[in-house]
Amino acid sequence: MLIPLLHRRRKAVAEAMKTVKSGTASVAETKRVYGFRLVVAGLMWASIYLLSRGLLELQLPGQSVRVLVALMPVPFFLWFLWRWMEGVARIDELERRIELEALAFAFPICVVLLMTLGLLEIAVPLNPDDWSYRDVWAMMPALYYAGLWRARRRYQ
Amino acid sequence: MKNRLKVLRAERDWSQADLAARLHVSRQTINAIETGKYDPSLPLALKIAKLVGMAVEDVFFLDDQPKSEAPEA
Repeated sequence: MLIPLLHRRRKAVAEAMKTVKSGTASVAETKRVYGFRLVVAGLMWASIYLLSRGLLELQLPGQSVRVLVALMPVPFFLWFLWRWMEGVARIDELERRIELEALAFAFPICVVLLMTLGLLEIAVPLNPDDWSYRDVWAMMPALYYAGLWRARRRYQ
Repeated sequence: MKNRLKVLRAERDWSQADLAARLHVSRQTINAIETGKYDPSLPLALKIAKLVGMAVEDVFFLDDQPKSEAPEA
């Protein structure tokens, strides 16, 4: 049921993509097309990340295999990043400004967060199950979304 | 930077959505420009001026521009 639905949606997006590339599409249509492509790439990356994480929990034999599994999500993330940048280049200028302000908000906070975590690691023993990089990275997208919310409010 | 976009749009009986469609931007962009929350890029400012058939300095002007130099609102 899901596959035909995705297939139909993909066909619709491919049709809309033709309009977007011709430069006659509305802003909303462009946003919809790139939004869908970004969601697909994001879901793919998240699935591979979860698969990789699950496989690593299984204590696979051989260090090279484990490294390979750990690196598995990287190409999918790069694909996701490519889709994101492609979308940002096409969206309208206010939306682009909002993206920039969200990143300008999130990036320095991430730096402070990692720096503080590094210092705390020296100061006191932190539980690696709570405070290792494998979990802390998830705070970064959360900060980006907080920045996005803040920037959107500013221009409303 | 200030602008006369709201007045010029009203004179032409265009909604924000109409103007946004003509300029290929979102309605939110037009609203943010009109309320002075966002200063458009130079290409967009030029497009707006061309669309309303005026010089760009007659549509957009600096906050500290003397009243005698500012275009009539």
